[in-house]
Amino acid sequence: MHAMQTDRDQLNRATGVDAVIEVYKKDVDVTLIRANLRLSVDERLQQLMRLQEFAEELQRARRKAR
Amino acid sequence: MTDFRALIRLLVENNVDFIVVGGAAATVHGSARLTSDLDVVYGRTSENIQRIVEALRSIQPYLRGAPPGLPFDWSAQTIQNGLNFTLTTTLGALDLLGEIVGGGGYKDLLRHTIEVEVAGVSCKCLNLERLIVVKRAAGRPKDLEVIAELEQILGEKRPDQA
Repeated sequence: MHAMQTDRDQLNRATGVDAVIEVYKKDVDVTLIRANLRLSVDERLQQLMRLQEFAEELQRARRKAR
Repeated sequence: MTDFRALIRLLVENNVDFIVVGGAAATVHGSARLTSDLDVVYGRTSENIQRIVEALRSIQPYLRGAPPGLPFDWSAQTIQNGLNFTLTTTLGALDLLGEIVGGGGYKDLLRHTIEVEVAGVSCKCLNLERLIVVKRAAGRPKDLEVIAELEQILGEKRPDQA
C-alpha cells in the first residue's frame, strides 16, 4: 500500500496535480472555513443538511419554471 | 435530503463498526462544500455485517439508481458477497464501502480516525490528514478542488505548518 501511495504521489507531482491544487487554493473561501471551524461537528452537519435542503428547493423551482 | 445525523445515530445505536469518510468527513473537518450522501467504511466481520443488516432494515435499503422493482435481497449474504453498496434509504443516500482507494478497509483505517459527537452519539471519522491522502489516491479530477480546500483547512488548524 505504501509503495503504491508513493508511486501515486510521484505521479501527482509529475502530472502537475499539485500545481492545479495550488491554483484552486487561491479560490478557497477561508472565511467560510473559519466560520465552520467555530461550529461544533454536529452543527456543521446540521448546516450541511440545511444547505442540501436549499439546493433541492432550488432544483424543484427550476423544474417548475421549465 | 439525506439525514446524516439520523443515519449515523442509527448505525451507532446498533453497534455497527463504521468510519465516516468522503464528503461528510470533509464537513466534519470544516469543509463548506455540499455533499449529498453519507459514505462509511464498514467492518467486514460476519457479526458486523449482521448488525448492518438489522440496523438498516427499517429504513428500506435499495440499490441507488436501480430500476424500481428489481429484486434486491437485503441480507447478510448479499453484503458478504459484495463489497461496496450505493444505497438509497428512507433517511437518504448511504454508501456502504468495504474498502476505499488509498485507505484500505475498516481495520486499516482505524488508526487514522478521530472520535466525534454527532446527534448525541460518538462515532469514528477519518482524520483530516488521511482524508487528504485518500482523496489524492482516488485521483479523480473532481476531487482536486476538494483537496485544495482540505489542505487549507489543515493549514488553518496548524498555522505553523501552513
